[in-house]
Order: sequence, then structure tokens, then C-alpha cells
Amino acid sequence: MSQRDLVAELRAARVEAPPEVRERVRLVAAAAPAPPRRFTWRRAFVVAVPVAAAVAASIVFTRPSHHEQTATPLGRVAGLPATVRAAPAGAATKELAVPSAKQRVQVVGTTLSLRTHKVSDGVKRAVRIVTSLGGYPVSVHAQTEGKEATADLTLKVPRGHVQQAMSRLAQLGTIVAENVDVQDRTADLNATDRTIARLQKRLSDLRAAKASKAQVDALTNRIQALQRSEAATRRAAHYATIDLHLETPQAAAPVHKGHGPLHGIGVAFRYIGIGAAYALAIGGPAIVLLVLVWLAVRLVRRRREEALLSR
Amino acid sequence: MTFQQAAEAHLDDVYGYLAWFTSDRFVAEDLTAVTFERALRLWHRFDPERGPARTWLCQIARTVALDHFRSERRRTRREELAAPPEQIDFRFGEGLSPDLEAALGRLSAGEREVVALRVLLDLDAGTAARVLGISPTNCTTRLNRALKKLEEALHVAA
Repeated sequence: MSQRDLVAELRAARVEAPPEVRERVRLVAAAAPAPPRRFTWRRAFVVAVPVAAAVAASIVFTRPSHHEQTATPLGRVAGLPATVRAAPAGAATKELAVPSAKQRVQVVGTTLSLRTHKVSDGVKRAVRIVTSLGGYPVSVHAQTEGKEATADLTLKVPRGHVQQAMSRLAQLGTIVAENVDVQDRTADLNATDRTIARLQKRLSDLRAAKASKAQVDALTNRIQALQRSEAATRRAAHYATIDLHLETPQAAAPVHKGHGPLHGIGVAFRYIGIGAAYALAIGGPAIVLLVLVWLAVRLVRRRREEALLSR
Repeated sequence: MTFQQAAEAHLDDVYGYLAWFTSDRFVAEDLTAVTFERALRLWHRFDPERGPARTWLCQIARTVALDHFRSERRRTRREELAAPPEQIDFRFGEGLSPDLEAALGRLSAGEREVVALRVLLDLDAGTAARVLGISPTNCTTRLNRALKKLEEALHVAA
């Protein structure tokens, strides 16, 4: 008998379960409860995807955006005194006009921050400009670190030339910030003049009344102190102080446009990736060990099974 | 498909598989009932997308049969010394020649099992291999070996 005939005969064999077994199984099957709703991955996916989308959307759309976070600092800048003007990086602006009245006594102080590629040349030219206008440098601090250089100069310029000085200094680079501070001291000096006149009249009265020398000396000293103070104020008012700051342009910072709506998801995936890497590094050897144990157990079980079924 | 439908449709297959596997009609009847009881308990785990109910029931039947073989081995180890095991006259199915019946009886349980799955139930190599927990190639090798043994036995008988 060929193998084909053998298989055909085997296939032709009819094996039917006896009626008692059929009845027994029927009784077993009759006890089967109604099929419950089966958990399937497809069903879970259909539920999980909208839920995950809703959670992600709530996270993405309810978290404060970068623009809202930066709004506060910008607001603070806008609230600064009008004398301070912060120029946008890399953009030259017109220098501020310095209000000046030659008849009045005014203490003028200005600050000017410039960005220039040649700080050293800028320092030299600033000193030359100030000197040419009858002024002088009070202090010069220059510093170089790598490709970055800064210089801080305190310059004195006759008050009448401060506008001109500011204009010429502004041409040394790009204006980053500028500040003008003017204090009118005329009223104070007038008051001091009146006080001195009153005290001088009183002094002449004392002399006419032949008062004691101590009284005359005290009054004289007071008058002289007031006169010195007045002279100092006038001297200070004669020169305007210019604080000049020069710096090299900084490397252009990448423009931060804020986060997109999917930034949160990207961050989440990044952290999930980091976690997965750690889990792999720590759990990898354990997984390999478990796999080896599983293979060994499987091999032993199969050998035993084969031995069991070999009879 | 409900459990009742599956039981009705595949009862003969499960019984036939167990009958050839154990070569004992009474044991096969008991194991068939046990298989369906266990299947009823596990029915909530059955996923038609992963395979047909027949394959799933055969896997359960195999586990039940292996449990039976293990307990039987323990029992016979104890009792074999006192009394030799009783030889029961068993017919593998209607329509088989006496020589083929005898040749089937001389096969090992493992060999009868693979013949039952591949020939009697007509499962393909992949499905039968899944029931047996081996590779399809291994399954085919086992079948060829068993058929060759049967062929030789029939040749000797002739």
C-alpha cells in the first residue's frame, strides 16, 4: 500500500462521538452564559484614540503660550520713563534731542549705548570728539574678552555743545539705548541768591550796630558757604555728563518664535524616549535572562512531552 | 459564533483527535467532556481573529490529554508492579482495515497525534504545528515519520 493510499484510507475513517458524549457536551454547552462584550484591541483603539486626542488637545490649548509669557516683560519696558528708549537690536535710531536753555542753569546727564564692531577705535574717536568740543574724558574703562569688547566712558562736554556731541557720538555705531536727564537748578540758585542778599544785608546791619566779632564771622562763613555751593552748581551745570557705553555686536540669538501646538506632544515623546532608553539599559539584561530561562523551560518541557508521548 | 455552535460543530473532531491520541475510547470520551468544560470556562478568551474555534478546541484538548498522560504515568508507575496494564480492544474508526488499526495501535501517542491532526482533521501544517507547539517543518517531519512507520507495518503484515 502506497503512502497516498494509506492517507486516503485514514481520511476515510469515520470517527463520531458516541451519543452519551454528545449529550454530555450538550449539557455543558447549555450552561454557557450569554457572551459578554468582548474586549478587543480594535474596540480599545476606537475608544482610546479620541480620548487621547481630547487629552492632548486640552493640554496643548490650555497651557499658556510663549507669547503670553513674554507679554509681561514687554509691558514693563513700555512702562519705563519716557527718557529711556530701548532700540531694537541692530537697528539705528535717531539720537534724542537735548532740551537746553542757555539762560537757565541746568544739570544735563546723558547715557548713550552703542554697538560697534570696533570698540577700540570708538573709544579714541569719542575722546577726540569730546576734546574737540571743549570737553574732556573723566574716565575710560575698556575690556576685551575673546571676540567681545566693551568700553564705558564718562565724558564731560560744555552744556552748549552737548547736542552736537551726542549727534557725533551717535555716529560711532548703532544706538542700543539712550537716556537724557535734565535738571533745572535756576530756581534753586535764585533762592540761594536771595538768601545770600538777605544775609549780606544782615551782615552790614551787624557791622553798623558794631556787633560782636563772633556773630559777624559766623554770618560771613555762612554767606561764603552759600556762595561756594552756588559756584559749584554753576560749574557742574556748565558741563554736561555723557556716559557712553560701547559694545561689540553679540552673536545673533536664534529668533524664538514660541512653541507650536504640537510642542507638548514632542516633549512628551522625548521624555518617553528617554524613559525607554533607561528602561532598555536597565531592563535589557533582565529581559535577556528571562528569555534564556523561558527557552530553557520550553526545551525541558518539550523533551518531557516527547518522552511522555513516545510510548 | 457561540459556544453552543462551536461545541456542536467540532465535537466529532475533538473526540476523534482525542480517541486517536489516547487510543482509548473511554478515556477519549471523558477527556472530550473535560475539554468542553474547560473550553466553556475559557470561552471569553477565545478570539476568532487569531484562529478558528476548531484549532482552539484542539489546543485545549491537547492540554487536557497531556494532563491525563502525566497522571496516568504516575498512576501506572505505582500500579504496574502490582498488575500489568489492561489492554483494551479499541477501534480507531469505521472503515479502517484491521491491519491499519493494528499499525495505528503500534504508533506512539505523539505519532498518532500528528496523524490525527494532519490526516483525520485535515489541518494544514501551520495550524497543526500551532496546536502541537512546534514548527511546521517539524510537524511535517513527524507526520512523514509516522506514515512511514504505518507503511512499513502494513508491508510486514501483508
